[in-house]
Amino acid sequence: MSPSRIEVRLERRLDTSVARDLLTPIVSILVALVVAGVFLVIEGFSPATVYQDMFEASFTTWFGFTDSVATAIPLILTGLAAAISFRMNLFNIGAEGQLYVGAIGASWAGLALAPDLPGPLAVAVVLAAGAVAGALWALPAAWFRARFGTSEIITTLMLTFVALFLMRYLIFGTESYWRDPLSTNFPQGLSIDPVAELPLYSDTRIHLGFVVAVVAAVLVWALVRFTSFGFDMDVVGSSPKAARYAGIPVGRTIIVVLALSGLLGGLAGGVEVAGRAHALDPNGLELGLGFAGIVVAALARYNPWAVIVVAVFLGGLRNAGIALQSVPGERVPVEVSLMLQGAILLFAIGGEVFARNRLRIRRRAVEVATEAVPA
Amino acid sequence: MNEWASVLTLAAAVGAAVPIALAALGETLAERSGVLNLGVEGMMLVGAVTAFLAADAWGNLWLALVIGALAGTALSLVHAVLSVTFRANQIVSGLALVIFGTGLATFVGKPVEGVPLEVGLRPIDLGPLADIPVLGPVLFDHDPLVYVTILLAAAISFYLRRTRLGLSLRAVGESPATADSMGVSVVAVRYVHVMLGGLLAGLAGGYLIMADVPSWSQDATTAGIGFIALALVVFGSWQPWRVLLGAFLFGFARRANFWLQGEGVDVAAELLSMLPYVLTIVVLVLWGTRDLRRRMGAPAALGLPYVRDER
Repeated sequence: MSPSRIEVRLERRLDTSVARDLLTPIVSILVALVVAGVFLVIEGFSPATVYQDMFEASFTTWFGFTDSVATAIPLILTGLAAAISFRMNLFNIGAEGQLYVGAIGASWAGLALAPDLPGPLAVAVVLAAGAVAGALWALPAAWFRARFGTSEIITTLMLTFVALFLMRYLIFGTESYWRDPLSTNFPQGLSIDPVAELPLYSDTRIHLGFVVAVVAAVLVWALVRFTSFGFDMDVVGSSPKAARYAGIPVGRTIIVVLALSGLLGGLAGGVEVAGRAHALDPNGLELGLGFAGIVVAALARYNPWAVIVVAVFLGGLRNAGIALQSVPGERVPVEVSLMLQGAILLFAIGGEVFARNRLRIRRRAVEVATEAVPA
Repeated sequence: MNEWASVLTLAAAVGAAVPIALAALGETLAERSGVLNLGVEGMMLVGAVTAFLAADAWGNLWLALVIGALAGTALSLVHAVLSVTFRANQIVSGLALVIFGTGLATFVGKPVEGVPLEVGLRPIDLGPLADIPVLGPVLFDHDPLVYVTILLAAAISFYLRRTRLGLSLRAVGESPATADSMGVSVVAVRYVHVMLGGLLAGLAGGYLIMADVPSWSQDATTAGIGFIALALVVFGSWQPWRVLLGAFLFGFARRANFWLQGEGVDVAAELLSMLPYVLTIVVLVLWGTRDLRRRMGAPAALGLPYVRDER
């Protein structure tokens, strides 16, 4: 009997299939629901009821759905921030921090510049201030990466925490320009000039930021698809060496992409301030919108159009946890949303592998090495 | 009074260093094998909440710590499957671990939030040693895990430098193809060390519950320590002793506002909290050039999946 062993290997699929591309995320989500359901059962809840309540709260009613879209606004922008950098193998995981700094910049503009400006200009200036602040916050990481090859993964992550504590410092640590001087016991951000607030659509919570986010998605798509810079991005992303041979300025491409990524993260902060919080709000902003953007981008496979759809789905998921709190009789912790987000992402990563590769399991005889006998 | 405050701060810094050091030593092992696991925070939280639930149910502190460590290991196994076998993007997978771990821990821990724990880690009695002025409280008045952590750093350092298995580990992290051709199983080495990382992160989470904070709540429990641990691995340039030293430094930063207030220096807590992160960036940039980075010890294959077939 010859010895044999089971061999498991992944083989890259050579064909592509639209059906498989669409089916993969759906199956991933279903499996994640089952796994999260196990924990729901352990805690004594009925998964079917909880999921049904969540789905109804976020997607089947008009208010639920429009709220999901409203929550998706910053997620689209942070999702684009992650997508534009991840697709060229640059990992700006600091959109969270760029969002905070964007919020600081935007609220500064809303307090200092907006009162003297007419409505539309005030809005534009506030959003631009957020975007510029976010881009500037990404710039050190971008420059270190381009100049020294310093890992942008670690620097953008570190800068996120610096930004978090900077924002807290401005409200809780000192009597800063951003802090409402009347709020002594519970420090709060000073409200920006109403002229810079984004208008709401009808009786919903969807604000003008949605249009800004969709326009941003279109611009990112066009940049990647139709410009020579988008081509440079692809080449630098897949092979910096080849890019260098082709005369593409690798360092500059890296800096511009990371700065654009930071700009989108900062814009998310600006949109949050002008559209929802109307002040620098360390408690209201600590939602992990930046990190969730990475989830959005990964689920959307870094495609700008898919980012919009996935953001609405995840926005609904985030809202659903909160909506569950008002369902009588059930006491499902709000964190069920976060758990589901994580589970969906984990299974989507796994599912992606199966969509791209074929899993081969086979039994193979182990070749027994025999020494050649000299003739 | 001021000297007393300094001594107390130093003593507290040692305790504050333990969870950071445990998690960072674990992450060092994982990264040395070439796998970046950004999910430390998630593994710590899951370790913390399971340790809490176990301690609450059975009242046995050591059993609780073991269960916390195993919970961290279970979560790290998910990362190992995704990043080693499936060769998925390690960054996305690690962050997914943070999100899932945070969600799971807060969800499961909701019913016991704020409930105080009956058991806790107590300092071991070293007799008259603890009564030595200054040195006593700083060095000899701690719970057993403080000493275990120091021994662990020594053990890992020995393992990396002096053992055959440690050599295999370093080979896998530096040049997996070479290790593979030498007959070392890249997959096995990476699985084992990613899971050791999860084990230590889970233990660090359990320690936080048992020693630092006597009750469960997500904000108060880890408060970003998992990310500090990630920074620390870089700060300590993947060397166990430097990681341990850095942990004491970062632990001191966590407790320094108490001491500074005693000295009459008024620095906002928020600015002090930035310190570890800023320091890590500074170290990274000072050691910026590729040459220095290699000398500094970043595993050459860090973050890269290994595929044998592709040539």
